[in-house]
Amino acid sequence: MAVRCQFEGSNDIGVFSKLTNAYCLVGIGATANFYSVFEEQLSETIPVIYSSIAGCRIIGSMVAGNRHGLLVPSTTTDAELQHLRDHLPDKVKLQRVEERLSALGNVVVCNDYVALVHPDIDRETEETIHDILQVEVFRHTVGNNVLVGSYAVLSNQGGLVHPATPTQEQDELSMLLQVPLVAGTVNRGSNALSAGLIVNDWAAFCGFDTTATELNVVESIFKISDTPQTAITTTMRKALIDSLA
Amino acid sequence: MSTYNFKKISTVPASKDFVDIILSRTQRKTPTVIHKNYKISRIRRFYMRKVKFTQQNFHDKLTTILTEFPKLSDLHPFYADLLNTLYNKDHYKLSLGQLNIARHLIDKVASDYTKLLKYGDSLYRCKMLKRAAMGRMVTVMKKQGPPLKYLEEVRQHLSRLPSIDPNTRTLLLCGCPNAGKSSFMNLITRAEVEVQPYAFTTKSLYVGHTDYEYLRWQVIDTPGVLDRPFDEMNTIELQAITALAHIRAAVIFFLDTSEKCGVPLDQQLCIYKSIKPLFANKPLIVVCNKADIINLEQLGKESPEKRELVAELERDHVPVRQMSTITHEGVMDVKKEACDSLLGMRVELKMRSRKAESILNRVHVAMPAPRDNKKRKPFIPANVLKAMENKKNAMETESTDKPRKKLEKDLEEELGDDYSLDLKKYKDLMVEEWKYDKIPELWNGFNVADFIDPDIFKKLEELEKDEEEREKNGFYKPDIKEQDEATRKIHQLALKIREKIKINWINRQLDRPGKKAVMSRVTSKRARERSVSRLRNEFSELGVDMSDVRGTNFTRTRSTSRGPPLKRTRLRSEAMTRSYSRGPSRDVSGVRDVEMADKMKKLGRKAQKERNFAGRKGEGDRHIYDLKPKHLFSGKRGLGKTGRR
Repeated sequence: MAVRCQFEGSNDIGVFSKLTNAYCLVGIGATANFYSVFEEQLSETIPVIYSSIAGCRIIGSMVAGNRHGLLVPSTTTDAELQHLRDHLPDKVKLQRVEERLSALGNVVVCNDYVALVHPDIDRETEETIHDILQVEVFRHTVGNNVLVGSYAVLSNQGGLVHPATPTQEQDELSMLLQVPLVAGTVNRGSNALSAGLIVNDWAAFCGFDTTATELNVVESIFKISDTPQTAITTTMRKALIDSLA
Repeated sequence: MSTYNFKKISTVPASKDFVDIILSRTQRKTPTVIHKNYKISRIRRFYMRKVKFTQQNFHDKLTTILTEFPKLSDLHPFYADLLNTLYNKDHYKLSLGQLNIARHLIDKVASDYTKLLKYGDSLYRCKMLKRAAMGRMVTVMKKQGPPLKYLEEVRQHLSRLPSIDPNTRTLLLCGCPNAGKSSFMNLITRAEVEVQPYAFTTKSLYVGHTDYEYLRWQVIDTPGVLDRPFDEMNTIELQAITALAHIRAAVIFFLDTSEKCGVPLDQQLCIYKSIKPLFANKPLIVVCNKADIINLEQLGKESPEKRELVAELERDHVPVRQMSTITHEGVMDVKKEACDSLLGMRVELKMRSRKAESILNRVHVAMPAPRDNKKRKPFIPANVLKAMENKKNAMETESTDKPRKKLEKDLEEELGDDYSLDLKKYKDLMVEEWKYDKIPELWNGFNVADFIDPDIFKKLEELEKDEEEREKNGFYKPDIKEQDEATRKIHQLALKIREKIKINWINRQLDRPGKKAVMSRVTSKRARERSVSRLRNEFSELGVDMSDVRGTNFTRTRSTSRGPPLKRTRLRSEAMTRSYSRGPSRDVSGVRDVEMADKMKKLGRKAQKERNFAGRKGEGDRHIYDLKPKHLFSGKRGLGKTGRR
């Protein structure tokens, strides 16, 4: 069951949080409401960690990670790094990355096996991603957008890409990533997918404005509900076309 | 997509209020004082301003009315027609047109009178012209009573119209009165439309919403239609016809086979036939309601001729369903079928449009073709899988949930202001106690570990051992032997003195009055406690030799009479005489004393120095703003003095 939530009135929850199969990072807000949404759903399985990067709470855009590791930008302070290390499970490797494109969340999208990265990312960073996150790394764009991290959301079960991605490119990407993909939106037609949606293999959270049809696409492609992924092309097709066109 | 919302039209005042509003506004917002001896141009300007201001206000207010009311030509044909049936298009247009004319007339009056005001040669004439102008404007406005009243009524009615979106997915319920349309509506939406056992309970259109296929569906309940030609229909029926004619919706036509509604079945079918042209290009379902009283089979047995009428419809490929809003039998099937057929039609239409191509990529799921033999399994922890399984079972067995975990949010709510965010609580460390370690591992950008000496404890131990040895060897013991008699005496004396000082200090502390301020000795009139003789006594008691006291402090006595001076000393005599009336001169008034005055003078001079050096004019220089003030040099002299005119 995907959950709709808000961060202090903002629908861009993916900016303020990061979810993987092994941990969940949450930005520090004025109240515990946002944190408790994740706490309720996840805390029995994985640690839900209050964190900040370089004193900012936009951690979702700043970090990249999966269940093997977590990469943080060079602006992360030592104390924050220590804080993360103290909270993360020991299996998860933590590494600070010297990368010019420091918003790693916007330039890297990955699951536990593959990662797409911004075409201009450093060679060293690419290697770090390969080593720490234990993934195959591909330099690629999504629907002509270089910010793959912003315009694609990925789990081991499926992926959602920018709504302007052509069918052919979706097929290519799906071949690279080895998961079923669909183009879609969140938050009532927003194409900033990673800002509006965070997923792992069994849970999904999206912004408050997400419509029922959007939510259904998310639930089926990420296998959160029992609807098969192909439902998008069969049973949900009519509803989708009618609400989109 | 444009939405139709008529709730924001501002109120239309009655003509009398209208005039009052404008005139009082003019009175409040324009200057009111004018004298006949003002310059004539000023008088003209004064009145012209009044006239123009009034006109502008009339104009603005009328313009808001004219723009806020919907233009029938700009509206969706459904709304245009609905407005026509409800308010009569001609009347509506005429009223707005009349206001437009009034606006024009007022503008004209104002421009005429401002022109005339240019030639006004006295205050009186100007005033009369203004009066005339205002009077004419008000007369024009007063004549607008009926249209304003009508428009206000329309506005009130419009604001209560249901917000129907003519373009969205819609189910439209129609049929003869009392056939069960509103009951059906109440079953599938939460609109709570009034249901009564008499005809024409529903007198206008009602809107409700329902969900199907993850989409929102608008359901419109229409008033019942009777079997008569369109031009004889009343406003209530016409609303239903308007909705049928203009909204592309799935139509559900209600038949009452039980004839409990009071209309015989053949007449109901006549209604159907007469409004059938309106069903063109729309998915249609004919529903035989009240199946709990009589369903189609029973009807076939009891009156085959009536069944034949219904069968005729079926032969026309019109889907005929039966349902009962009382037993809820077939209700959801009807809804489902109506929604499905409309959705299918809408999708088919949309697929033919140009926009469809741009969204086709979004109804495509790209399935991966395998590129290697690696398995990429999802990673779902065992307890999550178990929880999912449990949930599924629980849904089947309806078991009670386990108690909810106490969340940070609950904690925050519970503690209120005492809550503070504990970032260390959930640390994942080897030893639980390490969580709240006081020493930070990183401090001010330094790693504390870098500065820790690994052998610090060993070194400390060595030092302690050293120290112990020294103590044992008597390193710290004072060697008394070396002291001679004299120094020992001195030591003892000093010890005594120190002890006494301490005792005195303690006494003083004890004597000190609690929290009260210490009063000065003069005011409290205490007997003197300190005296030279006492000092002498006490010190000699202590063994101090008090025989030689020359040059000591306490021998210098002074008389008690001389206290501190009551006032600050005056440094310079102030005994200058001055007349009674004159206050202190301005440069020393408000200045504390002569010293301060001197200082100020000095500061002032210093501030001026630069300016003086440059030879520039300062604020202290004499300056006459107007050498020949006009009022003293123009016009006739009256009876008064030369300096006043």
